[in-house]
Amino acid sequence: MAKKNAAQAPLTPAVLHILLALSTGERHGYGIMKQVQADSQGKAKMGPGTLYGSMGRMMEAGLIQESDKRVDPEMDDERRIYYELTDAGRAALEAELKRYRGVVAVAEGRLAHGH
Amino acid sequence: MATNVAIRRYRTWYAMLLRLYPRSFRERFGEGVAQTFHDLCREYRDSGRGLFGLALWIFFETSVGIVRENTTHMSQLGKTMLRVALGALAVLMVPIVASRVVEGWNWEAGSFVVVYVLFFGTGMVYAVIARKMDAWSYKAGVAVALVAGFGLGWSNMVHVADSENPANLAYYSVLAVGGVGAWLARLEARGLARTLFAMAATLAVIAVMLPSGAPPYLARNMAIGHVVFVALFTTSGLLFRHASLAGFPPQGNTH
Repeated sequence: MAKKNAAQAPLTPAVLHILLALSTGERHGYGIMKQVQADSQGKAKMGPGTLYGSMGRMMEAGLIQESDKRVDPEMDDERRIYYELTDAGRAALEAELKRYRGVVAVAEGRLAHGH
Repeated sequence: MATNVAIRRYRTWYAMLLRLYPRSFRERFGEGVAQTFHDLCREYRDSGRGLFGLALWIFFETSVGIVRENTTHMSQLGKTMLRVALGALAVLMVPIVASRVVEGWNWEAGSFVVVYVLFFGTGMVYAVIARKMDAWSYKAGVAVALVAGFGLGWSNMVHVADSENPANLAYYSVLAVGGVGAWLARLEARGLARTLFAMAATLAVIAVMLPSGAPPYLARNMAIGHVVFVALFTTSGLLFRHASLAGFPPQGNTH
C-alpha cells in the first residue's frame, strides 16, 4: 500500500532532490548530498540527518534501495554503501515531474491572461 | 585551516551525538551518517575552510533528525505493542472459549491474566527479534522457535505440576540452552541456527535418558511430543541456516 501511494503522493522537497540525484546513477550518502547541491545550484543544503532520515523512509516506501556497488576508487572505502532508484522510485519521480508540469502550465496560462 | 586533529575531535563528538538515534536507525545508517560527516570535514579541510561553522550546522541539523527519528520510533513502537496486544487477546480467546466448552477446564481469572502476559511477552519478543533481518527465513525461524519454546515450556509446566516429578525440570535446560545461545549469538542467524540445533539435541538426549515415569498410555503421547518438538527446533535451525546462507545482510549493517 505504501509503495503504491508513494508513486502518487506529492513528494517532500528532500525526497524529490534525492530521487533527482539518484536518477543519473548510483551514489553514496556524500555523493547524493553533493549532487543535490549541484542540481539546486547551491540553494538546497541537506545535512546527514535530513539525508539519511529521508532515505530511511524512502527505502521503507520502496523508492530506493542499496546497490551492489561497494567501492569508490576516489574515496577508497569499501564499506561505503551505494544507493539506487527502484522502478517505484523512478515512477514517483516521473509522476512528480508531471504534476509540476501541470502546475506550471496552469500558472503560465493565468499569468498570460493577466489573472 | 582545519587540521586532522580537529577533524578527529569533531568526529568523536559527532559519534557521541549519533548514539542518541534510536538503535534500529543507528545500526542501519549510523556508519553512513558518520562517514558523510567525515567526507564533509575532509572537503572543508581540503578547501582551506574552517570546521567550526560546518560542525555547528551539522550538529544542529543532526539533532533535529534525532528528535524526529525518536518521535517516529516511539509511535512505531506504540503501534507494534498495540498490534501484539490485540493479537495476544485474539489468541487468548482460544482458552477462554475452551474453558466454556471443554469439560473440566476450570481456570481461574488469574490464570487467564498469566496466559495473556505470556502471549503478549512472546509476541513482543518476536516483534523485536524478527526486525533484526529482512529475510523471510529468519522471521519464520524466530516464529517457529518461539512457538516451540512456548509450547515446550507450557507443556512441561503442566506436566511437572501434574506428575510432581522434579526430574522433569530437566526439560527447562532446553530453554536455558536457547536463551544462552541466543545471547552468545547476538541474534545473528548463523549462531541462532547452531543454538536451535543444540536445543533439538538437548531435548533428544533428555527424552532418551530421562525416565518419564508415565503410564504406558501416556508414554506414547510423550514420545510423539518429543519428536514434534525436536522436529520444530530442527526446522527453526534450518530456517536460520537458510537465512545465514542466503546473503541477506543483518539490518544493523545496511546503512
